[in-house]
Amino acid sequence: MASHSSGPHLSVRSVLSLGGLLLVLTLVTVLVSFVDLGKLNFFVAALVAICKATIVLYFFMNLRHDSRDNAVIFLTSLVFLTIFFVLTSVDVFFRGDVKVKGAFFQAVASVTKKPWIKTPELVAHGKEQYAIQCAMCHGAVGAGNGPAAAALVPPPRDFTKPDGWKNGRKATMVFKTLKDGLAGSAMASYATLPEDDRWALAHYIISLGSEPPADTAEDFAVIGIDPNKEGSTVIKEPKITIRQAMALLQTSSSGGRLYTGSAEGQYGQLCASCHGDKGQGGIKVGQYGLYAVTKPFDRAMTEDAIIASIRGTAHRVTTLSQEELTALARFVQNAAKR
Amino acid sequence: MRHHAHHFASAEAEFEASKQGMWVFLVTEVLMFGGLLVGYGIFRNLYPEAFHEAHKHLAVSLGAINTVFLISSSVTMALAVTYTQMGKRVAASCSLIGTLTLAFSFLCVKYVEYSHKFHDGLLPAGYFTNTELKLPEAPLFFSLYFMTTGLHMLHVLIGMGLLIWILRRTWSGELSSGYCTPTELVGFYWHFVDLVWIFLFPLLYLVG
Ligand code: HEC
Ligand code: HEC
Repeated sequence: MASHSSGPHLSVRSVLSLGGLLLVLTLVTVLVSFVDLGKLNFFVAALVAICKATIVLYFFMNLRHDSRDNAVIFLTSLVFLTIFFVLTSVDVFFRGDVKVKGAFFQAVASVTKKPWIKTPELVAHGKEQYAIQCAMCHGAVGAGNGPAAAALVPPPRDFTKPDGWKNGRKATMVFKTLKDGLAGSAMASYATLPEDDRWALAHYIISLGSEPPADTAEDFAVIGIDPNKEGSTVIKEPKITIRQAMALLQTSSSGGRLYTGSAEGQYGQLCASCHGDKGQGGIKVGQYGLYAVTKPFDRAMTEDAIIASIRGTAHRVTTLSQEELTALARFVQNAAKR
Repeated sequence: MRHHAHHFASAEAEFEASKQGMWVFLVTEVLMFGGLLVGYGIFRNLYPEAFHEAHKHLAVSLGAINTVFLISSSVTMALAVTYTQMGKRVAASCSLIGTLTLAFSFLCVKYVEYSHKFHDGLLPAGYFTNTELKLPEAPLFFSLYFMTTGLHMLHVLIGMGLLIWILRRTWSGELSSGYCTPTELVGFYWHFVDLVWIFLFPLLYLVG
């Protein structure tokens, strides 16, 4: 019949039965989504979607009778999509924090000088680290049921329960676990993580269960730390997450305790962490998973443009008065000229 | 039978070239939707709680009904191609009308869904005014929701325009067993629109 159609097309009957199959598969995904299977839900949904897509491509779009070139062309797009996804993920999920500079940031970051004392900032930081480093085994909320857990003997610890801990669940004991790992299990040593990250992780995972007894002097002696000395863990370059830095910028009130009165002082406290002491830039800054290397300030920028930038979406600093903004903008302009 | 353009050796070669052009076009489509899907994947991993809470505000039932509409429309589209190849003018036209009707039903359901979202203030970024959802990243979910489903809806609209065009030519007997390249290629496009929805539906409505 049609000599130049894409090969023998489907009979009416097979079109209808394939349609029926697709509808059944739809019903399956919808039903499965109402059953809580944890991470498995995602994989079931993905698997069914791939099956449906294959049916559509193979039969309806007739890829089974098509030339191999066309199949290759189409599949290449999927290959590139995968590369795109993998590279973007690697980029987004492995990014640094802001090094702390300026009195304002230092005051907050100094909590890490005694990181064994639990603070909300440390717990928040621990939570972020946890999602990246630990959740695949210990589960999103620490119940020991991450996607990689099924294959592990012994299974990962359930942080929400107080029993079954080999080293114990005081902060110092978890710190030790992270330093040495647990021999004979998948729990490796995390000694390569900065110490303050390890303390942050310890505080976070302990917060997932009931409050343990306080660490005693002996507990600290075991890990060789003197809890009375400041910074007896070595923190060379205090860092806070960019999100915290941005949040801090917003809460900084004008005339606050750290404000020294001069635009230079203001700049040192609020802006130097990200733009450098002299506005020279070149500092890696990430926000909401997006990141940039700050540039030296542009000499051509007008006062209004600088103020708009400080108050706009890039910084969202809304607490400075008009005079302070003007003074800062002048300072930035001068810095740009130098 | 229609004659092929002079720069093609045969009608067969002409058809193959048109079809390959269509596949290349679909590749660009994959990459366009792909950008949005990758964005969705990344942000979903960055803010799992917010995305999980936000996705609960989508109506699974409406999404499922729309999936049924689109899959059925793919079936009627495939039937339209089969009937056209068999030279059955009336059956082919009816299948195309069926496809159009299902597409229109899809748009109606989308209208209901979107108006609920507008009413509840579940809107992208700065337009978000819902007070129940407090997580700061929830508006991001709705930005992605509207961008992906909106782009998909645009494809449905364009597809409907193409279907009307094909329907006219099928009814007039221009497209028939001898020559039906446009029907087949519009069919490809339509199945692709279905394909995108096959992924959007579970990703947005079901797993969240
Ligand atoms: C490759 C999988 C895996 C990863 C990743 C992992 N763990 Fe574990 N973890 C385990 C397993 C398995 C155990 C249980 C070992 C045992 O019972 O001997 C465990 C046990 C623990 C314990 C219990 C120690 C005790 O006293 O019993 C703590 C605390 C812990 N992990 C913390 C962490 C932290 C924090 C991270 C992220 C930095 C992490 N784990 C990453 C697999 C993992
Ligand atoms: C948490 C990091 C961070 C802090 C703190 C910060 N900025 Fe920025 N700023 C950025 C980033 C990122 C950009 C965009 C990249 C760039 O242009 O350098 C930027 C851009 C700017 C720009 C526009 C630069 C251009 O050339 O277009 C100005 C002006 C600016 N910041 C001024 C300030 C001032 C004044 C402060 C202190 C009140 C400040 N910033 C504090 C991260 C920060």
